[in-house]
Amino acid sequence: MRGLLIALTGFSYVVVLLPILIVVVTAFSASEFFAFPPKGFSLRWFEAFFASDSMRGAFSRSLQIATIASILATVLGTMASIAIARRKGTLFNLVQGMFIAPLIFPAIVLGLSLLIFYKSIGGVPDFLGLVIAHSVLGLPFVVRSVTSSLLAVDPALEEAGQSLKASPVDVFIFIIAPLIWPGMLAGGIFAFILSLGELNTALFLTGPGVTTLPIEIFSYLQFQGGQLVIAAASAIQVFMIIAIVLIAERLIGLKRIVRSE
Amino acid sequence: MGSGLSMNRQTAFWALLAPPLLFVGIFFVVPLLNLFWVSLHGASSTELFGSNLSGENYYRILTDSFYHTIILRTLWAGMSIMLLCLVLGYATAYVIAPLPPRTRLIMLLLLVAPLMVSNVIRAYGWIAILGRQGVVNSMLRSTGLIDGPLLLLNSFEAVAFGLMTILLPYMVVSIVNALNSIDRQYIEAAQSLKANPVRSFIYVVWPLSSPGVASGTLLVFLLTLSAYVTITLLGGPRMKLLVSLVFDSVSGFRWPLAAALSFALLTLALVVAGLILALLRPGRVQGRG
Repeated sequence: MRGLLIALTGFSYVVVLLPILIVVVTAFSASEFFAFPPKGFSLRWFEAFFASDSMRGAFSRSLQIATIASILATVLGTMASIAIARRKGTLFNLVQGMFIAPLIFPAIVLGLSLLIFYKSIGGVPDFLGLVIAHSVLGLPFVVRSVTSSLLAVDPALEEAGQSLKASPVDVFIFIIAPLIWPGMLAGGIFAFILSLGELNTALFLTGPGVTTLPIEIFSYLQFQGGQLVIAAASAIQVFMIIAIVLIAERLIGLKRIVRSE
Repeated sequence: MGSGLSMNRQTAFWALLAPPLLFVGIFFVVPLLNLFWVSLHGASSTELFGSNLSGENYYRILTDSFYHTIILRTLWAGMSIMLLCLVLGYATAYVIAPLPPRTRLIMLLLLVAPLMVSNVIRAYGWIAILGRQGVVNSMLRSTGLIDGPLLLLNSFEAVAFGLMTILLPYMVVSIVNALNSIDRQYIEAAQSLKANPVRSFIYVVWPLSSPGVASGTLLVFLLTLSAYVTITLLGGPRMKLLVSLVFDSVSGFRWPLAAALSFALLTLALVVAGLILALLRPGRVQGRG
Protein backbone atom coordinates (compact mmCIF):
# COMPACT_ATOMS: atom_id res chain seq x y z
CA MET A 1 0.00 0.00 0.00
CA ARG A 2 2.75 2.41 1.05
CA GLY A 3 4.72 1.46 -2.06
CA LEU A 4 1.74 2.15 -4.34
CA LEU A 5 1.17 5.56 -2.74
CA ILE A 6 4.79 6.54 -3.23
CA ALA A 7 4.72 5.29 -6.83
CA LEU A 8 1.63 7.42 -7.54
CA THR A 9 3.29 10.41 -5.88
CA GLY A 10 6.37 9.96 -8.03
CA PHE A 11 4.17 9.74 -11.11
CA SER A 12 2.43 13.01 -10.13
CA TYR A 13 5.73 14.86 -9.88
CA VAL A 14 6.96 13.44 -13.18
CA VAL A 15 3.85 14.41 -15.17
CA VAL A 16 3.74 17.90 -13.63
CA LEU A 17 7.43 18.73 -13.98
CA LEU A 18 8.59 16.78 -17.04
CA PRO A 19 6.86 18.84 -19.78
CA ILE A 20 8.37 22.07 -18.46
CA LEU A 21 11.80 20.47 -18.11
CA ILE A 22 11.75 19.13 -21.67
CA VAL A 23 10.82 22.54 -23.09
CA VAL A 24 13.62 24.28 -21.18
CA VAL A 25 16.24 21.72 -22.22
CA THR A 26 15.13 21.83 -25.87
CA ALA A 27 15.52 25.60 -25.94
CA PHE A 28 19.31 25.15 -25.75
CA SER A 29 19.37 22.78 -28.70
CA ALA A 30 21.72 23.48 -31.62
CA SER A 31 19.67 21.59 -34.19
CA GLU A 32 17.14 22.99 -36.64
CA PHE A 33 14.23 20.85 -35.49
CA PHE A 34 13.03 19.25 -32.32
CA ALA A 35 15.09 16.25 -31.26
CA PHE A 36 15.49 14.63 -27.91
CA PRO A 37 18.01 14.38 -26.45
CA PRO A 38 18.97 17.69 -28.12
CA LYS A 39 21.91 17.61 -30.50
CA GLY A 40 24.55 20.05 -29.31
CA PHE A 41 24.28 23.11 -27.11
CA SER A 42 23.66 26.62 -28.40
CA LEU A 43 21.91 29.86 -27.65
CA ARG A 44 20.81 30.31 -31.28
CA TRP A 45 17.09 30.04 -30.47
CA PHE A 46 17.38 32.70 -27.79
CA GLU A 47 19.09 34.91 -30.37
CA ALA A 48 16.31 34.10 -32.82
CA PHE A 49 13.76 35.03 -30.17
CA PHE A 50 15.23 38.48 -29.59
CA ALA A 51 15.80 38.98 -33.32
CA SER A 52 12.11 38.43 -34.05
CA ASP A 53 10.16 41.67 -33.88
CA SER A 54 6.85 39.96 -33.19
CA MET A 55 8.27 37.81 -30.37
CA ARG A 56 10.22 40.63 -28.76
CA GLY A 57 7.23 42.94 -29.11
CA ALA A 58 4.87 40.42 -27.53
CA PHE A 59 7.35 39.82 -24.71
CA SER A 60 7.76 43.47 -23.81
CA ARG A 61 4.02 44.05 -24.14
CA SER A 62 3.36 41.14 -21.78
CA LEU A 63 5.75 42.66 -19.25
CA GLN A 64 4.12 46.09 -19.51
CA ILE A 65 0.61 44.71 -19.17
CA ALA A 66 1.59 42.52 -16.22
CA THR A 67 3.30 45.44 -14.46
CA ILE A 68 0.43 47.90 -14.86
CA ALA A 69 -2.29 45.33 -14.18
CA SER A 70 -0.61 44.00 -11.04
CA ILE A 71 -0.07 47.52 -9.65
CA LEU A 72 -3.70 48.41 -10.37
CA ALA A 73 -4.92 45.17 -8.79
CA THR A 74 -2.71 45.71 -5.72
CA VAL A 75 -3.93 49.29 -5.17
CA LEU A 76 -7.62 48.51 -5.72
CA GLY A 77 -7.45 45.19 -3.87
CA THR A 78 -5.74 46.74 -0.84
CA MET A 79 -8.32 49.54 -0.69
CA ALA A 80 -11.16 47.03 -0.86
CA SER A 81 -9.59 44.78 1.76
CA ILE A 82 -9.04 47.61 4.25
CA ALA A 83 -12.63 48.76 3.80
CA ILE A 84 -14.28 45.37 4.33
CA ALA A 85 -11.81 43.00 6.03
CA ARG A 86 -13.35 43.30 9.50
CA ARG A 87 -16.94 43.96 8.44
CA LYS A 88 -19.56 41.29 8.94
CA GLY A 89 -22.99 40.82 7.43
CA THR A 90 -24.58 39.50 4.26
CA LEU A 91 -23.95 42.66 2.25
CA PHE A 92 -20.22 42.67 3.02
CA ASN A 93 -19.95 38.95 2.30
CA LEU A 94 -21.57 39.63 -1.04
CA VAL A 95 -19.17 42.49 -1.83
CA GLN A 96 -16.20 40.37 -0.81
CA GLY A 97 -17.56 37.50 -2.91
CA MET A 98 -17.71 39.84 -5.89
CA PHE A 99 -14.01 40.67 -5.53
CA ILE A 100 -13.07 37.00 -5.13
CA ALA A 101 -15.40 35.68 -7.86
CA PRO A 102 -13.04 36.07 -10.86
CA LEU A 103 -10.81 33.45 -9.18
CA ILE A 104 -13.22 30.60 -9.93
CA PHE A 105 -15.33 32.24 -12.63
CA PRO A 106 -14.72 30.65 -16.06
CA ALA A 107 -12.25 33.16 -17.49
CA ILE A 108 -13.37 32.46 -21.03
CA VAL A 109 -16.78 33.96 -20.21
CA LEU A 110 -15.12 36.99 -18.64
CA GLY A 111 -13.04 37.43 -21.80
CA LEU A 112 -16.03 37.26 -24.12
CA SER A 113 -18.16 39.53 -21.93
CA LEU A 114 -15.40 42.15 -21.87
CA LEU A 115 -14.88 41.92 -25.64
CA ILE A 116 -18.59 42.49 -26.32
CA PHE A 117 -18.73 45.20 -23.65
CA TYR A 118 -15.78 47.05 -25.22
CA LYS A 119 -17.46 46.81 -28.61
CA SER A 120 -20.76 48.04 -27.15
CA ILE A 121 -19.19 51.20 -25.75
CA GLY A 122 -17.49 52.00 -29.04
CA GLY A 123 -14.15 50.23 -28.65
CA VAL A 124 -11.27 50.28 -26.19
CA PRO A 125 -7.58 50.13 -27.24
CA ASP A 126 -6.36 46.51 -27.08
CA PHE A 127 -3.57 47.30 -24.61
CA LEU A 128 -5.92 49.03 -22.16
CA GLY A 129 -8.52 46.30 -22.61
CA LEU A 130 -5.99 43.64 -21.62
CA VAL A 131 -4.77 45.66 -18.62
CA ILE A 132 -8.36 45.94 -17.36
CA ALA A 133 -9.06 42.21 -17.85
CA HIS A 134 -5.86 41.18 -16.06
CA SER A 135 -6.55 43.59 -13.20
CA VAL A 136 -9.99 42.02 -12.67
CA LEU A 137 -8.34 38.57 -12.66
CA GLY A 138 -5.55 39.68 -10.31
CA LEU A 139 -7.82 41.36 -7.74
CA PRO A 140 -8.88 38.14 -5.95
CA PHE A 141 -5.27 37.21 -5.19
CA VAL A 142 -4.63 40.63 -3.65
CA VAL A 143 -7.91 40.72 -1.71
CA ARG A 144 -7.29 37.25 -0.32
CA SER A 145 -3.73 37.78 0.81
CA VAL A 146 -4.18 41.36 2.07
CA THR A 147 -7.35 40.40 3.97
CA SER A 148 -5.54 37.59 5.75
CA SER A 149 -2.68 39.98 6.62
CA LEU A 150 -5.18 42.57 7.90
CA LEU A 151 -6.98 40.08 10.10
CA ALA A 152 -3.68 39.37 11.81
CA VAL A 153 -3.25 43.06 12.75
CA ASP A 154 -4.34 43.91 16.28
CA PRO A 155 -7.27 46.37 15.97
CA ALA A 156 -6.04 48.12 19.12
CA LEU A 157 -3.11 49.52 17.11
CA GLU A 158 -5.45 51.22 14.67
CA GLU A 159 -7.65 52.56 17.48
CA ALA A 160 -4.60 53.90 19.28
CA GLY A 161 -3.66 55.81 16.14
CA GLN A 162 -7.16 57.21 15.78
CA SER A 163 -7.38 58.26 19.41
CA LEU A 164 -4.15 60.17 18.92
CA LYS A 165 -5.94 62.09 16.14
CA ALA A 166 -4.02 60.53 13.28
CA SER A 167 -5.85 60.94 9.97
CA PRO A 168 -6.95 57.75 8.19
CA VAL A 169 -4.14 58.31 5.69
CA ASP A 170 -1.57 58.56 8.49
CA VAL A 171 -3.02 55.45 10.14
CA PHE A 172 -2.53 53.60 6.87
CA ILE A 173 0.97 54.84 6.15
CA PHE A 174 2.42 54.54 9.66
CA ILE A 175 0.45 51.67 11.19
CA ILE A 176 -1.28 49.41 8.69
CA ALA A 177 1.04 49.48 5.67
CA PRO A 178 4.18 48.42 7.57
CA LEU A 179 2.24 45.43 8.91
CA ILE A 180 0.49 44.25 5.76
CA TRP A 181 3.07 44.90 3.05
CA PRO A 182 4.03 41.21 2.75
CA GLY A 183 0.39 40.43 1.96
CA MET A 184 0.25 43.24 -0.60
CA LEU A 185 3.49 42.08 -2.17
CA ALA A 186 2.36 38.43 -2.31
CA GLY A 187 -0.93 39.43 -3.95
CA GLY A 188 0.82 41.74 -6.39
CA ILE A 189 3.38 39.11 -7.37
CA PHE A 190 0.64 36.59 -8.06
CA ALA A 191 -1.32 39.10 -10.11
CA PHE A 192 1.87 39.77 -12.10
CA ILE A 193 2.60 36.09 -12.73
CA LEU A 194 -1.02 35.40 -13.62
CA SER A 195 -1.05 38.19 -16.19
CA LEU A 196 2.23 37.01 -17.70
CA GLY A 197 0.82 33.58 -18.57
CA GLU A 198 -2.86 34.39 -19.01
CA LEU A 199 -4.62 32.93 -22.06
CA ASN A 200 -8.38 32.85 -21.67
CA THR A 201 -9.19 36.56 -21.75
CA ALA A 202 -6.17 37.40 -23.90
CA LEU A 203 -7.48 35.08 -26.63
CA PHE A 204 -10.42 37.45 -27.11
CA LEU A 205 -8.78 40.75 -26.30
CA THR A 206 -5.53 40.64 -28.29
CA GLY A 207 -5.76 42.12 -31.74
CA PRO A 208 -3.65 42.21 -34.87
CA GLY A 209 -0.24 43.56 -33.91
CA VAL A 210 -1.13 43.66 -30.21
CA THR A 211 -0.49 40.18 -28.80
CA THR A 212 0.93 38.89 -25.55
CA LEU A 213 3.72 36.31 -25.38
CA PRO A 214 1.49 33.32 -24.49
CA ILE A 215 -0.85 34.12 -27.38
CA GLU A 216 2.13 34.55 -29.70
CA ILE A 217 3.40 31.10 -28.63
CA PHE A 218 -0.09 29.64 -29.13
CA SER A 219 -0.44 30.97 -32.67
CA TYR A 220 3.08 29.76 -33.55
CA LEU A 221 2.17 26.29 -32.30
CA GLN A 222 -1.09 26.32 -34.23
CA PHE A 223 0.12 27.68 -37.54
CA GLN A 224 3.89 27.39 -37.82
CA GLY A 225 4.64 24.07 -36.18
CA GLY A 226 7.71 22.99 -34.32
CA GLN A 227 10.05 25.94 -34.58
CA LEU A 228 12.35 25.89 -31.63
CA VAL A 229 12.13 29.64 -31.15
CA ILE A 230 8.99 28.98 -29.10
CA ALA A 231 11.00 26.69 -26.84
CA ALA A 232 13.29 29.64 -26.19
CA ALA A 233 10.29 31.92 -25.60
CA SER A 234 8.90 29.38 -23.14
CA ALA A 235 12.24 28.91 -21.41
CA ILE A 236 12.54 32.68 -20.91
CA GLN A 237 9.17 32.70 -19.16
CA VAL A 238 10.13 29.75 -16.99
CA PHE A 239 13.41 31.44 -15.96
CA MET A 240 11.55 34.63 -15.11
CA ILE A 241 9.15 32.72 -12.89
CA ILE A 242 12.02 30.91 -11.14
CA ALA A 243 13.67 34.29 -10.53
CA ILE A 244 10.44 35.79 -9.19
CA VAL A 245 9.88 32.81 -6.86
CA LEU A 246 13.46 33.08 -5.52
CA ILE A 247 13.09 36.82 -4.89
CA ALA A 248 9.66 36.32 -3.34
CA GLU A 249 11.06 33.62 -1.08
CA ARG A 250 13.55 36.16 0.29
CA LEU A 251 10.98 38.92 0.70
CA ILE A 252 7.86 37.16 1.91
CA GLY A 253 8.84 33.56 2.65
CA LEU A 254 8.05 30.21 1.12
CA LYS A 255 4.87 29.70 3.12
CA ARG A 256 3.11 32.65 1.56
CA ILE A 257 4.09 31.61 -1.98
CA VAL A 258 2.71 28.11 -1.57
CA ARG A 259 -0.47 29.25 0.15
CA SER A 260 -1.34 32.10 -2.15
CA GLU A 261 -1.76 30.04 -5.29
CA MET B 1 -16.58 65.55 18.41
CA GLY B 2 -17.57 61.87 18.42
CA SER B 3 -19.81 62.30 15.40
CA GLY B 4 -17.07 64.27 13.64
CA LEU B 5 -14.75 61.32 14.05
CA SER B 6 -17.32 58.80 12.82
CA MET B 7 -18.15 61.06 9.85
CA ASN B 8 -14.46 61.01 9.07
CA ARG B 9 -14.39 57.21 9.27
CA GLN B 10 -17.49 56.90 7.15
CA THR B 11 -15.93 59.08 4.45
CA ALA B 12 -12.71 57.07 4.62
CA PHE B 13 -14.68 53.83 4.29
CA TRP B 14 -16.45 54.96 1.12
CA ALA B 15 -13.35 56.60 -0.32
CA LEU B 16 -11.62 53.23 0.03
CA LEU B 17 -14.45 51.01 -1.16
CA ALA B 18 -15.89 53.08 -4.01
CA PRO B 19 -13.00 52.81 -6.54
CA PRO B 20 -12.57 49.01 -6.38
CA LEU B 21 -16.34 48.51 -6.23
CA LEU B 22 -16.85 50.69 -9.31
CA PHE B 23 -14.01 48.96 -11.11
CA VAL B 24 -15.38 45.46 -10.54
CA GLY B 25 -18.93 46.69 -11.18
CA ILE B 26 -18.06 48.28 -14.53
CA PHE B 27 -15.62 45.65 -15.80
CA PHE B 28 -17.04 42.43 -14.36
CA VAL B 29 -20.71 42.74 -13.41
CA VAL B 30 -21.95 45.08 -16.16
CA PRO B 31 -20.22 43.15 -19.00
CA LEU B 32 -21.82 39.94 -17.71
CA LEU B 33 -25.30 41.46 -17.63
CA ASN B 34 -24.62 42.89 -21.08
CA LEU B 35 -23.55 39.43 -22.28
CA PHE B 36 -26.83 37.98 -21.03
CA TRP B 37 -28.75 40.75 -22.80
CA VAL B 38 -26.90 39.99 -26.04
CA SER B 39 -27.67 36.27 -25.68
CA LEU B 40 -31.38 37.06 -25.75
CA HIS B 41 -31.27 38.39 -29.31
CA GLY B 42 -31.06 36.99 -32.80
CA ALA B 43 -28.01 37.47 -35.00
CA SER B 44 -27.50 40.55 -37.14
CA SER B 45 -25.22 40.98 -40.13
CA THR B 46 -24.44 44.63 -39.42
CA GLU B 47 -24.74 45.04 -35.64
CA LEU B 48 -23.47 43.04 -32.66
CA PHE B 49 -26.96 41.59 -32.27
CA GLY B 50 -30.40 41.72 -33.86
CA SER B 51 -33.09 44.13 -32.74
CA ASN B 52 -35.72 41.67 -31.54
CA LEU B 53 -35.72 39.86 -28.23
CA SER B 54 -35.77 36.12 -28.79
CA GLY B 55 -34.87 32.88 -27.07
CA GLU B 56 -33.73 31.26 -30.31
CA ASN B 57 -30.12 30.74 -29.19
CA TYR B 58 -31.11 28.93 -26.03
CA TYR B 59 -33.80 27.00 -27.91
CA ARG B 60 -31.15 25.85 -30.36
CA ILE B 61 -28.75 24.72 -27.66
CA LEU B 62 -31.54 22.85 -25.86
CA THR B 63 -32.97 21.10 -28.94
CA ASP B 64 -30.08 20.57 -31.38
CA SER B 65 -28.49 17.14 -30.84
CA PHE B 66 -25.11 18.52 -31.98
CA TYR B 67 -24.98 20.68 -28.86
CA HIS B 68 -26.12 17.76 -26.70
CA THR B 69 -23.20 15.67 -27.95
CA ILE B 70 -20.74 18.45 -27.18
CA ILE B 71 -22.21 19.18 -23.74
CA LEU B 72 -22.11 15.48 -22.82
CA ARG B 73 -18.54 15.22 -24.06
CA THR B 74 -17.61 18.29 -22.01
CA LEU B 75 -19.18 16.76 -18.91
CA TRP B 76 -17.45 13.44 -19.58
CA ALA B 77 -14.09 15.20 -20.04
CA GLY B 78 -14.58 17.19 -16.85
CA MET B 79 -15.56 14.11 -14.86
CA SER B 80 -12.64 12.00 -16.13
CA ILE B 81 -10.13 14.75 -15.40
CA MET B 82 -11.67 15.29 -11.98
CA LEU B 83 -11.43 11.58 -11.12
CA LEU B 84 -7.88 11.20 -12.43
CA CYS B 85 -6.81 14.27 -10.45
CA LEU B 86 -8.60 13.00 -7.36
CA VAL B 87 -6.89 9.59 -7.34
CA LEU B 88 -3.40 10.92 -8.10
CA GLY B 89 -3.85 14.08 -6.06
CA TYR B 90 -5.14 12.30 -2.97
CA ALA B 91 -2.31 9.75 -3.05
CA THR B 92 0.25 12.55 -3.44
CA ALA B 93 -1.31 14.70 -0.74
CA TYR B 94 -1.46 11.69 1.60
CA VAL B 95 2.29 11.19 1.19
CA ILE B 96 3.20 14.90 1.44
CA ALA B 97 0.93 15.99 4.30
CA PRO B 98 2.74 14.21 7.18
CA LEU B 99 6.23 15.37 6.10
CA PRO B 100 8.13 17.84 8.32
CA PRO B 101 7.03 21.45 7.56
CA ARG B 102 10.12 22.56 5.64
CA THR B 103 10.21 19.45 3.42
CA ARG B 104 6.46 19.69 2.88
CA LEU B 105 6.77 23.31 1.76
CA ILE B 106 9.47 22.45 -0.75
CA MET B 107 7.49 19.49 -2.09
CA LEU B 108 4.45 21.76 -2.46
CA LEU B 109 6.51 24.47 -4.13
CA LEU B 110 7.63 21.94 -6.75
CA LEU B 111 3.97 21.49 -7.65
CA VAL B 112 2.79 25.09 -7.19
CA ALA B 113 5.59 26.70 -9.23
CA PRO B 114 4.47 24.90 -12.44
CA LEU B 115 1.03 26.50 -11.97
CA MET B 116 2.71 29.84 -12.58
CA VAL B 117 4.00 28.70 -15.96
CA SER B 118 1.57 29.48 -18.76
CA ASN B 119 -0.66 26.56 -19.77
CA VAL B 120 0.40 27.04 -23.38
CA ILE B 121 3.98 26.18 -22.41
CA ARG B 122 2.90 23.14 -20.41
CA ALA B 123 0.78 21.91 -23.32
CA TYR B 124 3.74 22.53 -25.64
CA GLY B 125 5.81 20.30 -23.35
CA TRP B 126 3.37 17.45 -23.95
CA ILE B 127 3.49 18.05 -27.70
CA ALA B 128 7.28 17.77 -27.47
CA ILE B 129 6.91 14.51 -25.57
CA LEU B 130 3.98 12.87 -27.35
CA GLY B 131 4.06 14.44 -30.82
CA ARG B 132 5.09 12.71 -34.06
CA GLN B 133 8.72 13.77 -33.64
CA GLY B 134 8.38 13.72 -29.87
CA VAL B 135 10.46 12.09 -27.18
CA VAL B 136 8.37 8.93 -26.93
CA ASN B 137 8.24 8.30 -30.67
CA SER B 138 11.93 8.96 -31.26
CA MET B 139 12.90 6.70 -28.38
CA LEU B 140 10.68 3.88 -29.59
CA ARG B 141 11.94 4.30 -33.12
CA SER B 142 15.61 4.26 -32.13
CA THR B 143 15.04 0.97 -30.32
CA GLY B 144 13.38 -0.38 -33.44
CA LEU B 145 10.12 -1.19 -31.70
CA ILE B 146 8.01 0.75 -34.21
CA ASP B 147 8.41 1.76 -37.85
CA GLY B 148 6.05 4.72 -38.19
CA PRO B 149 5.27 7.24 -35.44
CA LEU B 150 2.50 6.43 -32.97
CA LEU B 151 -0.29 8.99 -32.96
CA LEU B 152 -0.53 9.90 -29.31
CA LEU B 153 -2.06 13.36 -29.65
CA ASN B 154 -5.27 14.74 -31.16
CA SER B 155 -7.57 12.58 -29.11
CA PHE B 156 -9.93 12.81 -26.16
CA GLU B 157 -7.44 10.80 -24.08
CA ALA B 158 -4.61 13.22 -24.87
CA VAL B 159 -6.75 16.17 -23.73
CA ALA B 160 -7.87 14.40 -20.55
CA PHE B 161 -4.34 13.32 -19.67
CA GLY B 162 -2.75 16.67 -20.52
CA LEU B 163 -5.30 18.71 -18.61
CA MET B 164 -5.04 16.32 -15.68
CA THR B 165 -1.30 17.03 -15.43
CA ILE B 166 -1.89 20.77 -15.73
CA LEU B 167 -4.58 20.92 -13.03
CA LEU B 168 -3.26 18.23 -10.64
CA PRO B 169 -1.36 20.70 -8.38
CA TYR B 170 -4.61 22.46 -7.42
CA MET B 171 -6.00 19.16 -6.17
CA VAL B 172 -2.85 18.27 -4.22
CA VAL B 173 -2.65 21.67 -2.50
CA SER B 174 -6.35 21.62 -1.52
CA ILE B 175 -6.16 18.13 -0.06
CA VAL B 176 -2.84 18.71 1.75
CA ASN B 177 -4.40 21.73 3.47
CA ALA B 178 -7.45 19.66 4.47
CA LEU B 179 -5.38 16.72 5.71
CA ASN B 180 -3.16 18.98 7.79
CA SER B 181 -6.11 20.58 9.53
CA ILE B 182 -7.36 17.18 10.76
CA ASP B 183 -6.85 16.80 14.48
CA ARG B 184 -4.45 13.85 15.00
CA GLN B 185 -6.52 12.79 18.01
CA TYR B 186 -9.37 11.62 15.77
CA ILE B 187 -7.09 9.19 13.97
CA GLU B 188 -5.49 8.03 17.23
CA ALA B 189 -8.96 7.51 18.68
CA ALA B 190 -9.88 5.33 15.71
CA GLN B 191 -6.68 3.33 16.15
CA SER B 192 -7.20 2.87 19.84
CA LEU B 193 -10.65 1.51 19.03
CA LYS B 194 -8.85 -1.09 16.89
CA ALA B 195 -9.99 0.29 13.56
CA ASN B 196 -7.65 -0.98 10.85
CA PRO B 197 -6.01 1.66 8.60
CA VAL B 198 -8.59 1.13 5.84
CA ARG B 199 -11.54 1.61 8.18
CA SER B 200 -9.97 4.62 9.85
CA PHE B 201 -9.40 6.09 6.39
CA ILE B 202 -12.98 5.49 5.25
CA TYR B 203 -14.70 6.65 8.43
CA VAL B 204 -12.31 9.29 9.76
CA VAL B 205 -9.76 10.68 7.30
CA TRP B 206 -11.84 10.76 4.12
CA PRO B 207 -14.91 12.52 5.61
CA LEU B 208 -12.71 15.04 7.43
CA SER B 209 -10.77 15.80 4.26
CA SER B 210 -13.95 16.37 2.22
CA PRO B 211 -13.61 20.21 2.23
CA GLY B 212 -10.25 19.83 0.47
CA VAL B 213 -11.63 17.25 -1.94
CA ALA B 214 -14.61 19.49 -2.68
CA SER B 215 -12.56 22.61 -3.37
CA GLY B 216 -10.00 20.62 -5.39
CA THR B 217 -12.54 18.88 -7.63
CA LEU B 218 -14.50 22.11 -8.05
CA LEU B 219 -11.43 24.04 -9.13
CA VAL B 220 -10.34 21.29 -11.52
CA PHE B 221 -13.77 21.08 -13.16
CA LEU B 222 -14.17 24.86 -13.49
CA LEU B 223 -10.71 25.26 -15.01
CA THR B 224 -11.37 22.39 -17.44
CA LEU B 225 -14.38 24.30 -18.80
CA SER B 226 -12.22 27.27 -19.85
CA ALA B 227 -9.15 25.40 -21.09
CA TYR B 228 -9.51 26.28 -24.77
CA VAL B 229 -5.79 26.45 -25.57
CA THR B 230 -4.92 23.09 -24.03
CA ILE B 231 -7.93 21.42 -25.63
CA THR B 232 -7.04 22.82 -29.06
CA LEU B 233 -3.32 22.00 -28.88
CA LEU B 234 -3.65 18.46 -27.51
CA GLY B 235 -7.00 17.54 -29.01
CA GLY B 236 -6.51 18.87 -32.50
CA PRO B 237 -9.06 20.74 -34.60
CA ARG B 238 -11.76 18.10 -34.37
CA MET B 239 -11.76 17.59 -30.59
CA LYS B 240 -14.43 20.12 -29.66
CA LEU B 241 -15.73 20.87 -26.20
CA LEU B 242 -18.24 23.54 -25.21
CA VAL B 243 -15.57 26.23 -24.95
CA SER B 244 -14.45 25.52 -28.54
CA LEU B 245 -17.98 26.28 -29.74
CA VAL B 246 -17.87 29.66 -27.98
CA PHE B 247 -14.73 30.43 -29.98
CA ASP B 248 -16.13 29.11 -33.23
CA SER B 249 -19.19 31.35 -32.86
CA VAL B 250 -16.97 34.33 -32.14
CA SER B 251 -14.84 33.72 -35.22
CA GLY B 252 -18.10 33.52 -37.21
CA PHE B 253 -19.20 36.84 -35.63
CA ARG B 254 -22.30 35.16 -34.22
CA TRP B 255 -22.13 37.14 -30.99
CA PRO B 256 -25.58 36.26 -29.57
CA LEU B 257 -24.95 32.52 -30.01
CA ALA B 258 -21.49 32.84 -28.43
CA ALA B 259 -23.10 34.68 -25.52
CA ALA B 260 -25.78 32.01 -25.08
CA LEU B 261 -23.14 29.25 -25.22
CA SER B 262 -21.22 31.09 -22.48
CA PHE B 263 -24.27 30.95 -20.28
CA ALA B 264 -24.69 27.26 -21.09
CA LEU B 265 -21.11 26.87 -19.86
CA LEU B 266 -21.86 28.84 -16.69
CA THR B 267 -24.96 26.73 -16.05
CA LEU B 268 -22.92 23.57 -16.41
CA ALA B 269 -20.39 25.00 -13.92
CA LEU B 270 -23.14 25.78 -11.41
CA VAL B 271 -24.87 22.41 -11.76
CA VAL B 272 -21.65 20.44 -11.29
CA ALA B 273 -20.56 22.68 -8.40
CA GLY B 274 -23.93 22.00 -6.75
CA LEU B 275 -23.56 18.26 -7.29
CA ILE B 276 -20.05 18.21 -5.83
CA LEU B 277 -21.17 20.12 -2.75
CA ALA B 278 -24.27 17.91 -2.31
CA LEU B 279 -22.22 14.74 -2.69
CA LEU B 280 -19.28 15.65 -0.44
CA ARG B 281 -21.10 17.95 2.00
CA PRO B 282 -17.93 19.78 3.09
CA GLY B 283 -20.07 21.97 5.35
CA ARG B 284 -20.49 19.20 7.91
CA VAL B 285 -16.74 19.30 8.61
CA GLN B 286 -16.52 23.05 9.06
CA GLY B 287 -19.38 22.82 11.53
CA ARG B 288 -17.66 20.27 13.77
CA GLY B 289 -16.52 22.95 16.24
